[in-house]
Amino acid sequence: MRLNCGFHPEFPDRLKPFNMTSSRSSGLAYVSLFAALVAVFGLIPKIDLPLGVPITLQTLGVMLAGCMLGPKKALQALLLFLLAVAVGLPLLSGGRGGLGVFVAPSSGYLIGFPIGALATGLLMAYLPVNSPRRAAVSAFVASAVGGVLAIHVCGVIGLVTLAKLSWTQAFWGTLVFVPGDLIKCVLCAIVVHSVARGLPDWRFGGRSFQ
Amino acid sequence: MGSFYSDHRTWLHAVAAPLKLLLLAVVGTALYVFNSPVVLLACASLCLLLFASLGRATLPARKLLIMVVAAGLLITAFHAYLQQPLVGVISALRLLSASLLGIALMLTTRANDLLDVLESLLSPLNRFGIHSNALALQVALMLRFTEHFFIQWKRLDDAHRVRTGKAGGFKLLAPLTIRMLTSAQRVADALELRLPP
Amino acid sequence: MSSVISSSDPTPIHLDHVRLLRGTTTVFGDLTLRLSESRIGLIGDNGAGKSSLFRLICGLDKPQSGSVSVWGIDAQSQPSERVGLVGLMFQNPDDQIIFPTVEEELALSLSPNGLSRKVNCQQAREVLTARGLGHWAERAIGSLSQGQRQHVCWLALMIASPRSVLLDEPFSSLDLPGRAMLDMEIAKADQQVIVSTHLLDHVRGFERVIWLDKGQVRADGSGASVCAAYEADVAARCQTQHLNID
Repeated sequence: MRLNCGFHPEFPDRLKPFNMTSSRSSGLAYVSLFAALVAVFGLIPKIDLPLGVPITLQTLGVMLAGCMLGPKKALQALLLFLLAVAVGLPLLSGGRGGLGVFVAPSSGYLIGFPIGALATGLLMAYLPVNSPRRAAVSAFVASAVGGVLAIHVCGVIGLVTLAKLSWTQAFWGTLVFVPGDLIKCVLCAIVVHSVARGLPDWRFGGRSFQ
Repeated sequence: MGSFYSDHRTWLHAVAAPLKLLLLAVVGTALYVFNSPVVLLACASLCLLLFASLGRATLPARKLLIMVVAAGLLITAFHAYLQQPLVGVISALRLLSASLLGIALMLTTRANDLLDVLESLLSPLNRFGIHSNALALQVALMLRFTEHFFIQWKRLDDAHRVRTGKAGGFKLLAPLTIRMLTSAQRVADALELRLPP
Repeated sequence: MSSVISSSDPTPIHLDHVRLLRGTTTVFGDLTLRLSESRIGLIGDNGAGKSSLFRLICGLDKPQSGSVSVWGIDAQSQPSERVGLVGLMFQNPDDQIIFPTVEEELALSLSPNGLSRKVNCQQAREVLTARGLGHWAERAIGSLSQGQRQHVCWLALMIASPRSVLLDEPFSSLDLPGRAMLDMEIAKADQQVIVSTHLLDHVRGFERVIWLDKGQVRADGSGASVCAAYEADVAARCQTQHLNID
């Protein structure tokens, strides 16, 4: 008796495409998922670079949201995250939460999260993503401009207005974190590369949701 | 909340969730109203006392706390580099206080209770056309996914340890993302069947 | 089935007065087991400690007291040696697949040899081709069916050539043909295989089956007798529950 089954080398490969039911629930679930990712990054005890430069990983979550979900959904995800933080859930890195964090000197960076996600998503939506390598490079560019540039600009504005720093002081102050953030862009690109190979049907930059 | 919720019951477990959130919001905002290092030091000490009073319940969050202290030290160093050492001390004290309270909240409050508060806080928005139910659902989903991330991370880490003898670390971020994306699709399918159109 | 153990070999798996706590629950109070047979089944209710036993053997959990040794090596203290001696396949393939393509996933199992990823990928491809699955090498994990993913996990386990292999509920997510194939793979394997399962027919023919009940060994003997005893106990319990409800 011959057994016809999945292990048999001659059996045709059952290709299981990653099914995206483009439904309202789909959007809902993915938005929540990436809001959760940002929260997770705030809660894990993080690693420091050898020189002691801190990496608050949450901006990595912002970059991933933008690259994976595209502008509209990534913005929703980060707004959802901020809503949860505003209510008091301790999801900001270090376990902080509540309205208080929005009046802190670093709140510019916080406002930068949804803006950064939007910017990253917009770029990812227009950059080429048709091969894993191209998608990874696009992810790096998108997250460098969206994740790093946009968030730091917002952060600097915040520092100047709330911490009463001078523009020069704020500029040099923020520059310290840029190397760490660029490493995060590389990490983002690596993750995008893996997702592109592991889930070949996932369309980056929000193309999956069109 | 989630994987940080402690089963060792403390006095703070018995305090109602809305009260704890209110305390967090009030103290959290007050931290940024006061600029005196003396006041903030007193505040941080009180927060530390509160945290320490939880005793054994703080075990799940030990690593997180170490990270907060490290961040505080780095902030102090950062502001010293900008030639504003006092600002650094103030920032570090604020971070410490806010984090201690936030972690204490996480350790002693069930996610469901927090969500109930959220839903009641959001309900006035219904008259402005914002569906508070949908928002609360999304926050609930978000918390569930957060918990699931940690569980899934641990499982992948175990598998990695078994096969290579070492911890997984950041290498696990990519498979974790893939796994969570497929989970989200299943959750979406389940929701589609259960949500009203 | 020829014995994998020669008289000069150390005991494959030896747990000695192991005590394991999880939070406030005692998983094992005082467990002593010598697992030398080449085919061993592990059965029992959920929560009996089957997965915990496997985790102890693989060094994922540390006992509060007592020792766990694998082929003469302490399970906890030498992770890099232990990796080459014992392997574990988790119940759900998605909980353990780390890399996005098949060849990379297999190459991970080879990584303790210290060779480059490229070399290991090449070897993985050879192993796949030898089994007639060369076309799987660059396949995305996401495009494989559940059964195919589980087969990838099995191959990843085997490619490392461990001397003992632990399978945690391997049959539950497979369809009938998949289960039949796994049975055949298990029968072919040279190494010691320990299978934990709820589907008793797959271990009934094993030379030794252990029935775990709340962290203790309730029965330990030939596959046929222990499986029958467990089934009888389950039937009796259902009967009692049924009578209690009425």
